[in-house]
Amino acid sequence: MTRIMLGSAVLRGTVVGILTTSLMSTSALGAPPVDLSKWSPEYVRSIAGTQDFDTAGDCAKVTPLDYKGRLTFWYQGVFEGDPDLLRQYYKDFFETFRKTYPNIQLEEQALTYNDLLDKFRTALLGNAAPMAVRLQILGGTEFASKGYLQPLKPEDVGYSTEDFWPGAMKAVTWDGVTYGVPTNNETMAFIWNADIFKRAGLDPDKAPATWDDVVKYSKQIHDKLGIAGYGLVARKNAGNTPYRFMPQLWAYGGGVFDEATANPTYKEVELDSPQSKAALQASYDMYVRDKSVPVSALTNQQADNQPLFVAGQLGMMVSHPSDYNVMLDLQAKATGTDKEKAQTVIDNMRYGLIPTGPDGKRAVVFGGSNIHILKPEYVEGGKVDEPAAKAMICMWASPEWSLKMAYAGSNPGNLNGFKTKWMKERLEHIKFLDVTTSMLPYGIPFPALPESPEIMNIIVPDMLQNALTGAMTVDQAADDAAKKVKDLMGGL
Amino acid sequence: MTIVTGKTEARRKLQPVRSGALRNIWAHRADYAYVLPAIAVMLVVIAYPIYYTIELSFYKTPPGLQLRDKTFIGFDNYTTILTSEVFWKVTWNTLIWTFGSTFISFVLGFATALALHRDFVGRGVLRAILIIPWVISAVAASYIWKWIYHSDFGIIGAVLVGLGLTDRPPNFIDNVSTVLPSLIVVNIWREFPFAMIMMMAGLQTVPEQLLRAAKVDGANAWQRFWHVTFPHLRNVSVVTILLLAVANFNSFIIPWIMTAGGPSNASHIWITHIYELAFGRQRWGVASAYSVLLFLILMALGYFYVRALSGNERKEGSA
Repeated sequence: MTRIMLGSAVLRGTVVGILTTSLMSTSALGAPPVDLSKWSPEYVRSIAGTQDFDTAGDCAKVTPLDYKGRLTFWYQGVFEGDPDLLRQYYKDFFETFRKTYPNIQLEEQALTYNDLLDKFRTALLGNAAPMAVRLQILGGTEFASKGYLQPLKPEDVGYSTEDFWPGAMKAVTWDGVTYGVPTNNETMAFIWNADIFKRAGLDPDKAPATWDDVVKYSKQIHDKLGIAGYGLVARKNAGNTPYRFMPQLWAYGGGVFDEATANPTYKEVELDSPQSKAALQASYDMYVRDKSVPVSALTNQQADNQPLFVAGQLGMMVSHPSDYNVMLDLQAKATGTDKEKAQTVIDNMRYGLIPTGPDGKRAVVFGGSNIHILKPEYVEGGKVDEPAAKAMICMWASPEWSLKMAYAGSNPGNLNGFKTKWMKERLEHIKFLDVTTSMLPYGIPFPALPESPEIMNIIVPDMLQNALTGAMTVDQAADDAAKKVKDLMGGL
Repeated sequence: MTIVTGKTEARRKLQPVRSGALRNIWAHRADYAYVLPAIAVMLVVIAYPIYYTIELSFYKTPPGLQLRDKTFIGFDNYTTILTSEVFWKVTWNTLIWTFGSTFISFVLGFATALALHRDFVGRGVLRAILIIPWVISAVAASYIWKWIYHSDFGIIGAVLVGLGLTDRPPNFIDNVSTVLPSLIVVNIWREFPFAMIMMMAGLQTVPEQLLRAAKVDGANAWQRFWHVTFPHLRNVSVVTILLLAVANFNSFIIPWIMTAGGPSNASHIWITHIYELAFGRQRWGVASAYSVLLFLILMALGYFYVRALSGNERKEGSA
């Protein structure tokens, strides 16, 4: 009897063990998708570390591990504003790829956000593009609409479309066809220095609730302490500018088009609407009227705000969760009393949700990157090694690597990345991650139009600069920008 | 008396009679053969791009389409450029940038060359120090100057505030009125050593005995400079000015890195504007038309440069 019970227990144990192992080590393709309707920091915590994935095994189903080939690959890599931690993950990824696919000759090239589009466009003109490219979320539709990219959907590299954010999939879709796979997606958060808030007579534990409050707080900080309140960024041809201004524009109810609505049509230009002008007015008030933001905002990027923040010379800014790690890196490089000052700033660093507009609307740019495969005729040598390209995409977009490559600065494009053990580890190590993941449902993708890069990198910053330098009034600057968008959409 | 042999006579009969230019070319056929490879390379890397740019300038290239989908529009791109407000603003900026940088760099370089031409202790060290801005990478210099000028935490601002001369750091590059002069200062800092070196080389050619003779004749320092030194430097001055002007018309790195043409286009010069039109906004046709106009201007400057050089050669030949 005892023997029978023992045997049955062993059998049950074995079955449970096998079941658990099989559940824990699921193929990414078979994993149940993350339930976005339940999205909250608690939900994210509850699913973190619940599943193991076998990246090499999954990718072997797409491209055999002994496949022999050659891949040219350009990607938007780390830049000066990224923490060292991220650099290490990038290094690890390429080392792992080479070990996993030892017979694929990989020729990769990293380019910064601001250089990649220009270089890629130039290469395409000379049919000298790489076989695969990882572009910023803004770039996919431009190249898809012009016919440079091959159709490519998550299913082609072993995943399911449901494994990715719907907003991210929109950004890789043109005319109903999918042309890429998202690698990472993120939303920024609002960061402030509690010590500065306290000294300026503000509640150190509360972020400004609205953008109007940001204007007020910025002035108060500047007037009381003589330092910059809010880290405005208005440089042209820099991705940082739209990432910080668009949330403000949308929160006030404005937009370039109707991109902030559930089903955008991109038919009407709304940059000259009263709501858009109110958003521009808020920036004008901070820069011109109150002089409460860095004067250098017109030539600065976020990377220039970071040293100001760690030096205790800036009260508030909009940025990634990675900025906490950037501050740690900057502090480590500081010497003498600067080191102590930086530590005080880090101890007083707080993250909160991006402020709302006057009507309670909260918005943030749904950022990220996607990988695409080029058509052979635009590639140097006229050939694309598809299996090699798919191997790269499978690995980068895997739950494991899409999380690791976004460890400090973003979030995994593959939602299953949230279930990995590295996500659990990340939640413990990356401070304020909850806040930025909480912002994800408020994310609004840039208009999925080929003209978006010009609108976001040139027309919107131009509008800001025209208003902030006094070259135009707020009304004129908004009207001028709206006209430029209309001309652009009209093919001029 | 000329002795004509049978061989010479036969060769003369065999050779066709050629007119002056052709005869000249034939006589130098070996020289042409030597430069042929260089010409072939130039045809590929210079002549074809020039031809293609000119061709493209007559096409409309909508940013939403591939370049191969361009449509012929004749001179419309040129009309668009010449009637656009931005063109005149950018042209005005370019003229200020080019003439400001060229003139001041030359004067400063010339003055420094004159000062360094005298013999004094530490002259060699000083000369080496003054050349540093010219040998520093323009990219590195631009980033350094960006921080020197920084409108909130720049070194200049900190010094002025520290000395109590101003309450707030001056706004150098975030202001539409001051940005271009501020960039010109950086450009002058970088290129005056070039003018200095050229003029120092020129000063070596001024005959010492002429200066001594002028001194014996009672000429004062200014008269010796104006009537003896300067006429000898006229040609090297023209060449230096033309080289500086061409370089400044084409200057890209400093304005692009420091301000990217901003704020509000206040520091856009032709070359940065062309770059933005082409690579940022993909208006390849309009950008090509701009480039053709710039090319014509540079060709005119090049013509004067070659003329100045050949003037030098003629003078040296006749001396």
